[in-house]
Amino acid sequence: MTGLAFVTQIVLNGLMAASIYILVALGLTLVLSMTGIVQLAHGELYMLGAYGTYYICTVLGLHYLLALLLSVLIVGLLGIPMEKIFFRPFRGKDFMPSVIIAVAIMTMLQTTAVVFFGSSVKVVTTPFRGVMTIAGAVVSWERLLVIVISAVFVGGLFLLLRYTRIGLAMLALSQDVRGATLQGISADRVSSTAMFFGCGLAAVAGGLMGAIFNLSPTMGGYALMKGIAVIILGGLGSLSGVVVGGLILGFIDGIVPPLWNVQMASLIGFICIIVILIFRPQGIMGRPS
Amino acid sequence: MNKKKRILIVGLIVVLFLIPLVVNGPYQLHVMIMIGIAVMLSSSLRLIFNSGQLSLGHGGMMTIGAYTTALLITKLGLSTWLALTAGAAAGALLALLVGYPFVRLKGIYFSLVTVFLAEVIRLIAEQWRSLTGGSMGISNIPSPDPIAMFGIFNIAFESKVSFYYLTLILVLITLVVLYAIERSRIGLTWFSVRESDSLAESIGVDTASSKVLGFCAGSFFAGLAGGLYCEYNSIITPSAFGFTYGMNVLIYMIVGGYQRFSGPIIGAIVLCFLPEIARPLKEYQPYIFGGVVILVMFFLPGGLISLPGRLRTLFRGRKDNA
Repeated sequence: MTGLAFVTQIVLNGLMAASIYILVALGLTLVLSMTGIVQLAHGELYMLGAYGTYYICTVLGLHYLLALLLSVLIVGLLGIPMEKIFFRPFRGKDFMPSVIIAVAIMTMLQTTAVVFFGSSVKVVTTPFRGVMTIAGAVVSWERLLVIVISAVFVGGLFLLLRYTRIGLAMLALSQDVRGATLQGISADRVSSTAMFFGCGLAAVAGGLMGAIFNLSPTMGGYALMKGIAVIILGGLGSLSGVVVGGLILGFIDGIVPPLWNVQMASLIGFICIIVILIFRPQGIMGRPS
Repeated sequence: MNKKKRILIVGLIVVLFLIPLVVNGPYQLHVMIMIGIAVMLSSSLRLIFNSGQLSLGHGGMMTIGAYTTALLITKLGLSTWLALTAGAAAGALLALLVGYPFVRLKGIYFSLVTVFLAEVIRLIAEQWRSLTGGSMGISNIPSPDPIAMFGIFNIAFESKVSFYYLTLILVLITLVVLYAIERSRIGLTWFSVRESDSLAESIGVDTASSKVLGFCAGSFFAGLAGGLYCEYNSIITPSAFGFTYGMNVLIYMIVGGYQRFSGPIIGAIVLCFLPEIARPLKEYQPYIFGGVVILVMFFLPGGLISLPGRLRTLFRGRKDNA
């Protein structure tokens, strides 16, 4: 492979990994900073998104993109009663019970997946066969699709937060709960919306990854860990920080393994985070609260 | 502590020592040993919590302790007792290393980095194959060396019963030490830091150091539990005490009740027995566990230990109204 082709290949690898990390971490940050829930079950929503897409696609026979969209909607809508029933009673108080409840929900969702889908790994045949060549590098359509769809969702989210009323309301609430409520912003409404989007983002990431890799009921743990790492690196409470952190970690995971090995990638990522924690504990773009 | 309580506790300890005479099936003993380990972990987690921070990565400290002990025995041939202590020390050392940067983070974010730390430990254990054997872990870890004293008696650790007693003794030592720490001056400092750390700082308390101290002390016992486990189980793998187990320990502490010393103990016992009782349900068993946890959080936010108090107020209320 020529030099340029190789570089293109690893850059695209990095972009793909970054896309997934950003989707997951954005969803997690949304929920964390706007509803105050320590959503440890976030990984399970990612997993449900993957299984949902898979089943809608194979059982109902719908086109992959439609299945993805439907799955995102369903998981997002699932989040709303979850927030209302399980987490809202504890809002504003001690965060301890909500952590425990999130863990309980995580366990039960995993169990549900095992009960309904079986505990074995499911191999998925990709819906987008075929490759194309960019600058001499052979790239599969499905990986490009991950990058494109992620960009659409992430971009859409930022537009939503900046230019719609509910988006601005969400931003306001995440910055100052009292001030926002005094302005007439309904914390309930914002929480539900943030939960919807947060869960939806996790589901998109899951649906995308599920098409490329295999499905298993425990795949959520990986997503949660990456999400947490990105949030720590990029900034606590900062959405653009999540993008920055996700890009950094994604590129590390995309570029280092082909050049060295997987262990090196983990090590470098880990070192980055430790360095940030020592010199700037709130993350690259976090608020020092 | 009043006299009635003292007698109750002594009685309980006596009962615990006598249990193997009645219950000595290997599986039952195994469950009780694991409960003992869970008690050590949940109580030490409570110590960390009392110092003002919630660590969600307690499982990681246990893993470090287990691997340190295992490696010292298998690769360096160190005596098992020394290795056990070293495992505990390793937990404390790691907490010291990461403590100061970590405690600069507040609340949930401290918890998130501890989760991250536990995950990193797992990754290192999995990927540093030359040292740790990768996902296969380390096996053939020997049981503790026999204790021979004055040529009079020789305690060998061959059977589950002997491990039960070892666990029981270590758990009791752990609880005594934890209780003593809590009642000491540093425990009082922690209380003030927990209530309001800026106020404590204003009167000259070094809140960062006190939090790190709590983190280290709690992690010491987690490491000890890890070392004990690896000598008991003779095999240790990277995911043995990952995120899930750490979460379970947290659940024992909160559902049991973090306000009192006995909370995590009760939580560990009840919630370790629950899966055993629900065993006939096979794959649906986690629903029972999760359901119980959620119910307790909704109706008894103070945990199971608040149940007697709640019932008392319930009945007293009735009596007043009548």
